[in-house]
Amino acid sequence: MEKQFTIKNPQGIHARPAGAIMKKANEFPNATISLEFNGRKVSAKSITGVLTLGMKAGDAVNVITEGDQAAEALDAVGAVLETVLD
Amino acid sequence: MFGFGKKKKNISVTVPMTGKIVPLDQVPDPAFAQKIIGDGVAIEPEQGSLVAPFDGEVVHLIDTLHSLVIKHDSGLEILIHIGVNTVSLQGKPFTAFVKTGDSFKKGDKLIDFDIAAIKEAGLPVITPIVVANGDVVESLKIHEGSAAASSGELMEVVLK
Repeated sequence: MEKQFTIKNPQGIHARPAGAIMKKANEFPNATISLEFNGRKVSAKSITGVLTLGMKAGDAVNVITEGDQAAEALDAVGAVLETVLD
Repeated sequence: MFGFGKKKKNISVTVPMTGKIVPLDQVPDPAFAQKIIGDGVAIEPEQGSLVAPFDGEVVHLIDTLHSLVIKHDSGLEILIHIGVNTVSLQGKPFTAFVKTGDSFKKGDKLIDFDIAAIKEAGLPVITPIVVANGDVVESLKIHEGSAAASSGELMEVVLK
């Protein structure tokens, strides 16, 4: 499954929001959850992967999920991407 | 040696900044204190200089210069975050000597930071140093006490 979400955090995805994304993604151990932005695709379960995308406020990011609870994972991780966590 | 199977690998992470080594739960940011970002330790710095704790490369330097992820040649990744909420300082009190993709040797300067300026902004300067890819780690041994940069071991990481 795939859906686009927009980053809302004013300071972009720095360590704390990246940690929140990773934590949420890891609540779905049997789903593969990827983030795709700017031509790169990373695992949402990797803090390094999430940080290296360098996502800023207003950026549109694709969330791609496969496996168990793919739909729930898509909505849950997307919701964190659109949360303001500064 | 003639061992069969995969030998476990121990990685030594040396002290990257002069200061007092404290447990992660002393960091006033739950993402670090609760080890959400990763397991590790924190340093309350006494000098504003971060140096490389091993030979490796910069996987990601955040554009506000307060945090970076570095990778040891073994694949171990360490995230270092200078201060708490320091993203809000927009890079001002920080000087980076490396950029994403650069290689470095143990002891090389990575980032200088102005402790007084961070404190004047009302922010803690305590610096969490955590494993960013815990899936490769079997165990961590953390040293405590006060230490000078590059003077000794901060953590010993045993890889799976």
